[in-house]
Amino acid sequence: MFKVALLTRDGAAIAFDAEPSETLLDAAERAHVYLPSSCREGGCGACRTTRKSGDVTLDSYSSAALSDAERDAGDLLLCRAHARSDVELAAPYDMAAIGFAPIPERRARLVEIAPAGSSALRLVLQYEDDPEQGRAAQFIPGQFMELSPPGAEFKRSYSLANTPNWDGRLEFLVRLQPNGAFSTYLKEKAQPGDALLLRGPQGQFTLDEASPAPRWFVAGGTGLAPVLSMLRQMAEFGDMRPCRLFFGVNRAEEFFAQDSLEELHASLPDFSGTLCVWKPEAAWPGFTGTPAEALARALEETQERPDVYVCGPPALIAATEHVCQTAGVARVYSERFTPA
Amino acid sequence: MFCYQCEQTYRSEAGAGCASTKGMCGKDAATADLQDVLLHLCEGIGQYLHHARGFGATDAEADRFILFAFFTTLTNVNFNAMKFVEMIQAAAQIRDRAKALYETAARAAGAEPRKFAGAAAFVPAPDMRGLLAQAGEAAIKKDVETLGEDLVGLRALVLYGLKGVCAYAHHARVLGQERDAIYAAVEHALDLLASEPKELGPLLDEALALGRANFLAMEALDAANTGTFGTPAPTQVRVTPVKGKAILVSGHDMKDLHAILEATKDKGINVYTHGELLPAHSYPKLKAFSHLVGNYGGAWQDQQKEFAEFPGPIVMTSNCLIEPQARYRGRLFTAGPVGWAGIRHIGDENFAQVVQAALALPGFAEDAPQQTITIGFGRDTVLGVADKVIDAVKTGAIRHFFLVGGCDGAAPGRNYYSDFAHEAPQDTVILTIGCGKYRFNKQEFGTVAGLPRLLDMGQCNDAYSALVVATKLAEAFNVGVNDLPLSLIVSWFEQKAAAVLLTLLALGVRNVRLGPTLPAFLTPALVDVLVEKFGIQPITEAKADIAAALSRAA
Repeated sequence: MFKVALLTRDGAAIAFDAEPSETLLDAAERAHVYLPSSCREGGCGACRTTRKSGDVTLDSYSSAALSDAERDAGDLLLCRAHARSDVELAAPYDMAAIGFAPIPERRARLVEIAPAGSSALRLVLQYEDDPEQGRAAQFIPGQFMELSPPGAEFKRSYSLANTPNWDGRLEFLVRLQPNGAFSTYLKEKAQPGDALLLRGPQGQFTLDEASPAPRWFVAGGTGLAPVLSMLRQMAEFGDMRPCRLFFGVNRAEEFFAQDSLEELHASLPDFSGTLCVWKPEAAWPGFTGTPAEALARALEETQERPDVYVCGPPALIAATEHVCQTAGVARVYSERFTPA
Repeated sequence: MFCYQCEQTYRSEAGAGCASTKGMCGKDAATADLQDVLLHLCEGIGQYLHHARGFGATDAEADRFILFAFFTTLTNVNFNAMKFVEMIQAAAQIRDRAKALYETAARAAGAEPRKFAGAAAFVPAPDMRGLLAQAGEAAIKKDVETLGEDLVGLRALVLYGLKGVCAYAHHARVLGQERDAIYAAVEHALDLLASEPKELGPLLDEALALGRANFLAMEALDAANTGTFGTPAPTQVRVTPVKGKAILVSGHDMKDLHAILEATKDKGINVYTHGELLPAHSYPKLKAFSHLVGNYGGAWQDQQKEFAEFPGPIVMTSNCLIEPQARYRGRLFTAGPVGWAGIRHIGDENFAQVVQAALALPGFAEDAPQQTITIGFGRDTVLGVADKVIDAVKTGAIRHFFLVGGCDGAAPGRNYYSDFAHEAPQDTVILTIGCGKYRFNKQEFGTVAGLPRLLDMGQCNDAYSALVVATKLAEAFNVGVNDLPLSLIVSWFEQKAAAVLLTLLALGVRNVRLGPTLPAFLTPALVDVLVEKFGIQPITEAKADIAAALSRAA
């Protein structure tokens, strides 16, 4: 049995014991410490932390979740790591992102399913009343849920697009993947009234409330979902700070949520949005290119150094991080999604 | 940032004060700096209002703004940097209005208006970046190298005492009780601070003047509470949960509690008090609501655990808020002066959302075993049995009274107060106010001379009630308050307690023991002054302090 000490971004110390046979993620959960994670199979990178001292071994994992360079710099995936000595870890999230009770699993009914642009769907689910949990939809904007269709063995993670509410409504934006398991369910079977199993909320891609800087958001495709949730909450809370959105799709017909963006324009006092199309038709009047390119251009035009939040495919995250590094943006918060 | 206004401020061999990126309370540097800027602007407003008042012109709205603005800067009240950016812009407009009021009034009286510099002429930047760059001009320690720690510390005592006065006056105001004399005193203190005083004497006088103003503020609040909700009476309060949907109301604001009780009437929702709202159960018009079912939890510093376990929404109506944890931040609401970025705020006293939340959340699944405590020994109740008390003192059945009261906090040294209550001999009575009582109020203290030995007199501001009782007893015995068999064992944490302490000093009450530590802004030289002039003493060991108090009495 080895001792594991984990230090959070805001300086809180968490300690738990780990057997060499169990992953660090499982060891933490045995001690009722629920650290941010998602796929638990070394594929998503949500449980990445940095080793400060001690020895660990890693089971196999995807290089999309942990690059060789990151591993060389000391990073590891908690869901793949086994302690071989006492270990000290540094986590890239605050204490508030850590749960001390198991992640709730609850049923919710599908109440709306409708196209969102040409390649995504908008789903609205409704929690069923639960004697232990009530029916409130409680989460932090930016968090995600794992969804399982009725009777299915698999689950897929999707970010919530609406704000916490007392009616139990949960809104998701799902990009349709050819042959994707969840996409196949949605295209072929899903009916209003279906009872899905939801595991969450999870995730630490949330607004850094301690930072007073303006907030700029970069979203690729359905990566808009957590960003919409954040912006909608800012509007709901009357947040006055300046914010900007760079929202990109491949082709103009893929755009969705235009009505929601208009509402944000009306309710946020200092909000502007840039729609970006990577491969537009000739008639596209807006920005041509990726949202990371639009961000780079906007940063060139101002001395302001905002906090940047980015959600989208790994390539968009990497491009945004590169743009920010070049422009001297200190704080970049990211959530990557991978097709599934 | 630099802040040393509360008891838990960072202390090291190098000195005291929170001066990194985040204070011990969780306030970040930007918020702390913006609070300094807001108070600096308020000094300017107060300076103009003070001089306008000299010509008979007043602006009650501006005074009200000052109360609210100061309240937001108390420890554990408002942590939302954006809120301060907004209030700073509002303050600048009000300052300009106060300036016009003063200049018009002066000219109408045939006088040439004075030109004020410093805070009165401060022009705030339009955005946060600019404001943070200006914060140095408003910093509490800005002149320390030329003026020295004593003068800066005494300025801080005046500023922090003023915060307490403003907070109590704000509580009274929301219930419709305002006193022109309080506004005049607040403006006077702000005028002094705006003039950047360089002598100890005027500052010490101002501290005592604020102590007197705070007595008025506590009197106004007492009138507000009793006038609105009736006279507190001894009441059994359940301290364990009841099955059903639930709302928890914390802080001090009984008006908000009343609004929540009204909004939840006949909706199958039980309302619980938390922390300093416990005394609400003793007011007739609040306890008349049958769904005000009990008190939940302990003092403020335990809230992260207790709020996480509470199965309904939580409303924080005033201090003390600490960093909301993930497990309950979605069902936490702030109201009035309180704020935290990313937490829902109710600014219009409309608690409909809280009701919705209570209905959507599970509530308590089962009744817990019943346990009750008795509270509600306000001045009228205690004075109602004055004859009995006087007899008991004369016959020696009651040897001594200890007022063990004030704030609670997480510091280990605060065990002193529970030790004190337990060690106090059986022929003594313990009066208590504030949230410090949570260290011992669920325990059995028995009776003496037919009276309960533990008498809960209410909130921290009910120090007023205790002072009225002391004054009446002194009259009955034909002695001064300091000659009564009474010792005050005060625990402080934040600036309301600092104001109460100034009141005790201003009224000439000696025999005050203060702890768990002395304020960091009081330098050794300032402590010497307080010891010499007012007989104030730091706490030592409970047993020794009890013995010393009893030997004085003997």
